[in-house]
Amino acid sequence: MTNDNLNKLLVFCVLFCAQKTSIVHGVQALETKVALLLHVEPENPKCFAEGTSDLTCFWEEDEERAGSADQYSFIYTYQNENSSKCAVTALPAAGGKRLYFCRLSQTQLFVPLDIRVFRDNLLIHNRSLFIEVVFLLDPPANLTLTSTETQGQLKASWLPPSLKYMGDSMMYEVSYTMAGSHIGKVEEVQASSELILRGLQLGTKYKVRIRVKLDGISYSGYWSAWTDPVLMETMSGDLDPLIVSLSLVISLVLTLLSLIVLMSHRRFLLKKIWPIIPTPESKFQGLFKVYGGDFQVWLGHSTGGLWLRPAYFYSKEFPAPLEVLSEVSLGPALPSSALPPKASEALGEEEDEDKKLKRVETPQEHWLMDHGEDCEFDNSMW
Amino acid sequence: MGQSIKELRLQLVGNRRANVRNGEDPVRDYADSDMELPPRLFTLLLMLLEWTRPGLPSPLRPICDLRVLKHFIEEARDAQAAMLTCKEGCGLPEPVTVPQTKVDFSVWERKNALEQAQEVQSGLWLLNKAIGSLRASVTNTALQSHIDNSLINIFRIGKVLRSLNIQECTPPAGGVSGGEETWRVSSASELLQVHVNFLRGKLQLLLSNAPVCH
Repeated sequence: MTNDNLNKLLVFCVLFCAQKTSIVHGVQALETKVALLLHVEPENPKCFAEGTSDLTCFWEEDEERAGSADQYSFIYTYQNENSSKCAVTALPAAGGKRLYFCRLSQTQLFVPLDIRVFRDNLLIHNRSLFIEVVFLLDPPANLTLTSTETQGQLKASWLPPSLKYMGDSMMYEVSYTMAGSHIGKVEEVQASSELILRGLQLGTKYKVRIRVKLDGISYSGYWSAWTDPVLMETMSGDLDPLIVSLSLVISLVLTLLSLIVLMSHRRFLLKKIWPIIPTPESKFQGLFKVYGGDFQVWLGHSTGGLWLRPAYFYSKEFPAPLEVLSEVSLGPALPSSALPPKASEALGEEEDEDKKLKRVETPQEHWLMDHGEDCEFDNSMW
Repeated sequence: MGQSIKELRLQLVGNRRANVRNGEDPVRDYADSDMELPPRLFTLLLMLLEWTRPGLPSPLRPICDLRVLKHFIEEARDAQAAMLTCKEGCGLPEPVTVPQTKVDFSVWERKNALEQAQEVQSGLWLLNKAIGSLRASVTNTALQSHIDNSLINIFRIGKVLRSLNIQECTPPAGGVSGGEETWRVSSASELLQVHVNFLRGKLQLLLSNAPVCH
């Protein structure tokens, strides 16, 4: 065979297969619509329009009682016009039934249509309808799901049925469920070809399907079959890298700013938060660091002219009653009664000591003046 | 006579200057009053005319939202439903001519925009006349209000069509009678059903395909 013949054969095969596919697809679609109408339409014959110029009517009979197609007559009459006849065809159906069809290829809308079906001249079905209210469309095509920029959302888009004059009259029902679940939600949208599904769980697979119907103002009909479901997973809860990096930068900047503020006011803050507890350590050099707070040892080893000699503090003599009696008074000296000689001697020593004390008591006085209000000065030791 | 023209002019100027000094300038005043009053009056008249704007109405904004038509259709359906429940005082005194409502898309598409508009406008004219005669004969008060509504809506539809540059068609002197696009009805329910079907069909097609809206 030459190349030309082969090419022609190939083209013929492709066309034949395509036609066969479309025929098969058409038959499947018809079966779906028939099943749908058998379920929802109580009247006979059941009629539906797929486009602006056609009408398909059918009725069902049991195989046992069914006759051949030529036994039936389908008579239709538009208002104010003469009757016309439509050819009846028969097809086998599931469940021991037979279906009888009549298809009109040129129709008039917005005018009453009377339909009468006869079997052997016996009227079996009678119906009056408006063709524009029995539309049964094909489901929308190309249902697509895409993610949006917002988490918990999916955008569903589809191709509306291509029917002239009816684009604005179409309404859609979008059903979405979590994969594996039977509980779903339904949303309606009018005259649109996309819908954003909100409030979805993150990182979850959703199953979405859609169907179409005319809105019932000028045109009406039945809900179409559902499209095949489309699955898509929503974005997970992971944080967006951009948001994470921006958050880090901002927190870093804020941290630096707060550190700078803290450092510039550290002294003030330290004073407020961690006040210095005054200690007498500075007045007693080496008492805590060297002698571990042992005052007696510190007294024994303390040196320096400014410090008191421990001898003044530790007298081997026990305090004599005279010492108890003699108290330092700030006022003028009171006349004293006759004192025992020892007492007067001790008093004389006391006076000397007092003078010395006054001379060398500067640091002590200083210390006492610093803390005079805190403790009661008791000069009984002097 | 001995004065030359130049000297006369100088004299006139001198007189004028003298008059100005005296506070009056008769020549100038007369000339100015003659010049000022008409322009001012003219300006005033223009302002008044602009304000009152007699003459042609301003063009309407196109009404392309089909929800308006949806409202009209729903009210026509309400009238039809009310007619179905009416038992007395709701009949037509005599048969009336109404437009055909059937739409064959292959035939409709063969008509041009003008033919389609004429068909719709003449149909509305017929419906207006028919519903008007129904209004005159109906005694049921509930139905009367529905019919009044229908008549008002036909008027509003006319305005919608005008906003879409679809001009009203004046029917011939004898009116639109007979022909393929009309038929006669004798019952009020038939008339109101025709009204609903006409709005849903031909009018909706005309409005949804108005060139101004696309």
